[in-house]
Amino acid sequence: MTNYLLRRLLYMIPTLIAVSFVAFAVITLPPGDYADTYVLAARQSGQVVTPEQEQAIREFYKLDRPWIVQYWDWTSSIITRGDFGFSFQWDLPVNELIWPRLAMTFVVSFSSLMLVWIIAIPIGVYSAVRQYSVGDMLATIFGFIGLAIPNFLFALVLMYVSFRYFGASVGGLFSPEYINAPWSFAKLGDFLGKLWLPMVVLGTAGTAGLIRVVRANLLDELKKPYVVTARAKGMRERDAIRKYPLRIALNPFVSSLNDVFVQLVSGATIVSVVLSLQTTGPLLLEALRAEDMYLAGSFIMMLSLLTVVGTLVSDLLLAWLDPRIRFR
Amino acid sequence: MNITTRLVTALAALALFAGAAMAQTCEVVGEAPMLAERVAAGDLPPAAERIPSNPMVLAVAEEIGTYGGEMLDLYDGSRLAEFRQFGYEGLVRWNTDGSEVIPNIAAGWEVSEDGSAYTFTLREGLRWSDGHPFTTADIQFYFDEVAFEPYNCCNDYMLVDGQKPVVEIIDDLTFSMSWDAPNSTLLQNLATSYGVQVTQFAAHYLEQFSMKKNPEAVEALMAEDGYDDYNEWWAANVGRYGQNSEYNNPDRPLMTAWIPTAPFIGQERFTFERNPYYFKVDEACNQLPYIDFRTWSLTPDEEVRVLRTMDGQDHFCRRDVCQPPNKAVLFDSQDQGDYRFVDLTNSDHNQMLLHIKYTHDLEERAALFQEKDFRVGLSLAMDRQNVIDTVYVGQGTPHQMAPRSGPFYNEQLATQFTEHDPALASEYLDRVLPERDANGMRMLNGEPFTFNVLVNAGFRADWADVMQLIERDWEAVGLDVNVIVGSDEFARSARQGNDVDAYVWAGENGTGQLPILAADEYVPEAAYGWYAWGAENYFGTEPANPVVTPPSDIQRMIELVSLIPTSASAEVQSDRMKELLQLHADGLWVIGLAMPEGDYRVVNSALRNVPNPLIGGWLYPGPGPLNFETFFYGN
Repeated sequence: MTNYLLRRLLYMIPTLIAVSFVAFAVITLPPGDYADTYVLAARQSGQVVTPEQEQAIREFYKLDRPWIVQYWDWTSSIITRGDFGFSFQWDLPVNELIWPRLAMTFVVSFSSLMLVWIIAIPIGVYSAVRQYSVGDMLATIFGFIGLAIPNFLFALVLMYVSFRYFGASVGGLFSPEYINAPWSFAKLGDFLGKLWLPMVVLGTAGTAGLIRVVRANLLDELKKPYVVTARAKGMRERDAIRKYPLRIALNPFVSSLNDVFVQLVSGATIVSVVLSLQTTGPLLLEALRAEDMYLAGSFIMMLSLLTVVGTLVSDLLLAWLDPRIRFR
Repeated sequence: MNITTRLVTALAALALFAGAAMAQTCEVVGEAPMLAERVAAGDLPPAAERIPSNPMVLAVAEEIGTYGGEMLDLYDGSRLAEFRQFGYEGLVRWNTDGSEVIPNIAAGWEVSEDGSAYTFTLREGLRWSDGHPFTTADIQFYFDEVAFEPYNCCNDYMLVDGQKPVVEIIDDLTFSMSWDAPNSTLLQNLATSYGVQVTQFAAHYLEQFSMKKNPEAVEALMAEDGYDDYNEWWAANVGRYGQNSEYNNPDRPLMTAWIPTAPFIGQERFTFERNPYYFKVDEACNQLPYIDFRTWSLTPDEEVRVLRTMDGQDHFCRRDVCQPPNKAVLFDSQDQGDYRFVDLTNSDHNQMLLHIKYTHDLEERAALFQEKDFRVGLSLAMDRQNVIDTVYVGQGTPHQMAPRSGPFYNEQLATQFTEHDPALASEYLDRVLPERDANGMRMLNGEPFTFNVLVNAGFRADWADVMQLIERDWEAVGLDVNVIVGSDEFARSARQGNDVDAYVWAGENGTGQLPILAADEYVPEAAYGWYAWGAENYFGTEPANPVVTPPSDIQRMIELVSLIPTSASAEVQSDRMKELLQLHADGLWVIGLAMPEGDYRVVNSALRNVPNPLIGGWLYPGPGPLNFETFFYGN
């Protein structure tokens, strides 16, 4: 077991090096660089930037060097000083931009994830056990609608409805008067009053998917002889389902848990843009659009690290859940 | 120094004589309750000591206001201050209607007889937001440390034939700028959005970041902050013109009416508060601004900005929200959002301009595009009224790339070939593209020909709609058109490629004297990122595509652009501008769509002293010069 863990941890190092290399290469792949973004942004506000100035911007940010040199600069300062580089767009170190947003991102993602699990797993089980019942049909309809509506559209519609019919202030996670206020019960209440919107928007699609996964897997298991045996032996229906078939049916769910870590941090980008949430997703999106490569690269590195760690954790969980899976 | 006051290089319509502030001194100065409290507590000197002895006196649009209130704005995450709604504080400024340059931070100026030397006098007792005096040392710091750093943008107007100004500090309040030749557009340029950077640098605070002045201390500080790159450290602490970082350091003293109290980058909502040392008063000697706080809410999504405006969360709407297509939806929510409509006259002259790539790498295309008949055909085939009715809800007038009013209005340039005449358009196109294929589509040298137009819908979504309509008009005269609609980042890289034959952009700076300041925009391809023509001559760099030598007309246009700022008299300058526009008219080098009309803003119902109509623009950074500091909340 210890051996296995050590080996897995060692494998992470070359994986992450490869990821950092590929990520950086891909980010710098599109034609142009941040200097072009700068020129375009200036142009849109009415300003004219001459080719000399464009070149000077390029030199200011050392974009005129080959990308492999830039890559080396970036990775070596991460390793030696924990310095993730500088964001061109914001004129701030990447560290100052990413960390403050993580907490809020985590709260939003975690709460919508919990909502998904709490709703989806029981419904999935119910749908499988009472296959083709009215309840199953309703859950299926609800699930597919949730899956089909694009999240950002759903967010826009919900915002419009809450503006038009409830007069609620639109977007964000806090009402204006609470944004910069210290935490209090009133602020917490206000926050919870706002949190439902991203939770519901982000939750619907995930709920639908998970209901289908649980339902399908459980249906497969329910027909197997060991379930029939358990029932024949007079085991209570609840235990007969919970103890064995449900555990197996959750296998695919658990093995996809590696993504959870990434989801928790990356947030739902487009929805966050629409809802004006100060989470990490919009920051990454903007960084990629502007070719703000150190900021984007650092994000991707962080997400990759979480994916790798998440995979390990989900593998360990899987082994615990299903004793048939063994470490080799 | 031999300086006499004389109107020499002045532009006819501009009062360019030695400007001087209205002489008014204030015995008793009114101040905001929030500042009076601080004075009473001994945290702040009395109001009369905080303002200059000759403060800038602003006339209010309606009435003397009352102090207080918080003005709400929306912030899209890009530039906080592009001087249209915040931070328009240069040495000099436009008066409210944009007809004249008047003093601002400078109390006045004198111009030498030949227009090659300018002497500015600062107001006495002018202070930065931290209370430190604003003196010529701050001007010196700007010229020494910032102005001519290669990365610093937008002050080419300070160069005369490539020569930097000789800046002489005469005393604490007086300095001069001079060149070997006249710089006749200096004052107007200083009054534009670019001019504000001269007065953004507080020497007493920023010296600590100067590598030139104290390299050892700087290195120690950099090490402490964990930086190894000086440029990055400077940018993070001082910020750069036009970037968010400009206002992110609350310790950095400013001259603006409202100042940040905390870093705002990464904040969902942030508030600037009044500058206790602001140098302007109303006619009753009340220190401005009236409004205590300016608050911005981050709203990256455009649709949500519209929604929030309807919800009353923007007290003075943004120009991207208050567009004609949104007028109806905003109208419906007037009561709920508690706002009213105010008209806006725009100094933009065109909704959309079609810039054709005359220096296309494929020679046969370049040759075709350079035929005037081709461009006339394109222009006549466009049903502009249909576009105006469909996309701009009936607001606008067909218009080419031309000043919309003022001394440089040229009727031929403005109106030629704007009628919709497909038959005539076909005749013109038959002269250059006579061959047609079996489907009646035109061919170029026996090959199918497609005209590729790039639309940056990330900047202006309406252009995608416009081009859909125009595509049909052009196809009706046998021209196969491919409209490439892309986001900012796509357009950015695609623009330079060879699969693009033309791209569209807005036409700005079309009123009064502004065309003179934007003369380079009338040289095809010079100002819009295809540097090919004019690059060598005008920008002093190698052209991107050296095989193309500009036709003689274009060469003359490039020459005129460089001559205009160094004209020795107003008449000569005006004549040169008119010649440039006439060359533009003769060639129909850029095809325009429609003059924007029916513009408006929605402002909070309680907001007073908001002029009606407002004026919008860029080089006149309207509505910025309309004195936001005199706005106040009535009942």
